[in-house]
Amino acid sequence: MFTDYFLLSLKSIRHRKLRSWLTVIGIVIGVAAIISLMTLSRSLENTIEDQFETFGANRILISAKGFHGPGSLSQGLTTEDAETIKKISGFEYVISGIFRSAEVRYKNEIGFTIIGGIPSEMYEEFYGDTGIEIEGGRNIREDEKYVAIIGSRVATDMFEKDVHVGDKIEIAQQEFRVVGILEEIGNAQDDNQISISLDAAREIFDEEESIDLIIAQVKSTSDIPQLQEKIEKELERKRGDTNFQVLTASQILEQINQILGIMQIVLVGIAAISLIVGAIGIMNSMYTSVLERTKEIGIMKAIGAQNKDILTIFLIESGLIGLVGGIIGTILGTSLALAVGPFSKSAGFTLNITIEPLVIILGLLFAFCVGIIAGVLPAWQASRLKPIDALRYE
Amino acid sequence: MELLKLENVYKIYSLGEENIAAINGISLLINKGDFVALIGPSGSGKSTAMNLIGCLDIASKGNMYLNGLNIQNLPESNLAQIRGKKIGFIFQTFNLIPSLDALENVALPMTFQNVPRPIRIKRAKELLKQVGLADRIYHLPNQLSGGQKQRVAIARSLINDPDIILADEPTGNLDTKTGDEIMNILVDLNKKGKTIILVTHNHELTKLANKIITLKDGKAMEAQ
Repeated sequence: MFTDYFLLSLKSIRHRKLRSWLTVIGIVIGVAAIISLMTLSRSLENTIEDQFETFGANRILISAKGFHGPGSLSQGLTTEDAETIKKISGFEYVISGIFRSAEVRYKNEIGFTIIGGIPSEMYEEFYGDTGIEIEGGRNIREDEKYVAIIGSRVATDMFEKDVHVGDKIEIAQQEFRVVGILEEIGNAQDDNQISISLDAAREIFDEEESIDLIIAQVKSTSDIPQLQEKIEKELERKRGDTNFQVLTASQILEQINQILGIMQIVLVGIAAISLIVGAIGIMNSMYTSVLERTKEIGIMKAIGAQNKDILTIFLIESGLIGLVGGIIGTILGTSLALAVGPFSKSAGFTLNITIEPLVIILGLLFAFCVGIIAGVLPAWQASRLKPIDALRYE
Repeated sequence: MELLKLENVYKIYSLGEENIAAINGISLLINKGDFVALIGPSGSGKSTAMNLIGCLDIASKGNMYLNGLNIQNLPESNLAQIRGKKIGFIFQTFNLIPSLDALENVALPMTFQNVPRPIRIKRAKELLKQVGLADRIYHLPNQLSGGQKQRVAIARSLINDPDIILADEPTGNLDTKTGDEIMNILVDLNKKGKTIILVTHNHELTKLANKIITLKDGKAMEAQ
């Protein structure tokens, strides 16, 4: 019986092709927006999580207050603070670093980027523990001073001509030799960074004592919370102020996820509005259909259709419109999201697009339900028509 | 054998303060195998009577029996079942579903009775052949002439093997020749034992009937 009514509905939809398709388009746009936005924001979340894993879940970062990553200028930490932290047991090593922006020259071209300086003897550990590979050349060795490791985008994108291992670049008027090029990390900031030795950095930035960032590598992940607390206590005791912050990777990730969560709600909210508009489109189309087919409803009732038969036929019709819109919208939405992948890569942020089956199933189900709900009122109205009134309708 | 009996039936419409009786106390009896002509001028209550007999509308007062069953106070779902199984409608304007082809239009009443598709299709094909449309079964209504449409409608009215064929001005939209053909089909059906109620204002057609009911001002006069 259901199959019969399904075929009846299908024929009626096909009988008024143009209007059916226009109605479907309304749902397509809504579903495509929801699917693509949800997929994108989920992918963004996953990608950021991956990035943080690269940067080491076993690290505690200490910076001056207001320092939110390399690039922002901050004052306040000194080598003394680094020494304080080194005295706490439980760390594999403690790296002090300077991160400043500076002018970079290569073959008369000028670029501007972040220069990171950490002690040259620490470079093995620094890249070793993050799993970032040096793609070309080698790492900075102990006792080397005016040498640099450059990020992948410094090598290929920053200057007109590619920078190769062995080339000379000038950072803040000091000549450096490129000894290594990093693999692509996936975000523009890291791929645009140049790493040099701390001694060289102190010299070119004229900084004797101050430090921008202290990276403390813990021996065991489970010790992180208590070591974090210890660092805070010790630094406060020694410095006599709380003008610093101690962050772990997971805390930073949490903050970012919070922001992403809000973003997701906003995006899905916008998409939902367009879906509601689509639903109103279905409802409007169904009402028109009821009006237009009043006589048909009368005929069907005259030849034995009961109210529930009419209700079923109209509900299948609107559900079908919703479902078809959902299927096309899902295909469109996922392809849209997939298309953003390569686009984001060229913009400097490698977004790994992951299509989640749950999102697709939800999208389809949602579209079908929207169709049914939008169809309930018109269908109910159609089913309640008196046969005699419906038959007389012209 | 008694098929349809109306006992003092009224249909009263209220227009504000005023009550208007479209059917003003009709009693009549239709036997199985009758060919009844229901005639009367516009406003005589002819259409209202037909709607009541066809279970499309409910009488305000009185009793109606179909096969001995009082159908006066039945709910809409039961009336729909009666319309589907016991009554076959033929309308002046054919009333086919435009999105369905001839075969599906004929089979549709069986769909609402949950008859399996193969049986429906087989029976619909037989009936279309019977009304001379074997070569038109996949045509949509707008691809058929008036006479062909009415043949499809006749086939449709027959599919559930009803007790009564209720034909409302079946030749009203057709030319004389085609109209005669349609009437011949109805006469044939009557000869095969079908009860036919023909609603018309064409006195010519009443010659075919064995019972003529004339309606005037909501009252009925019967003549054999």
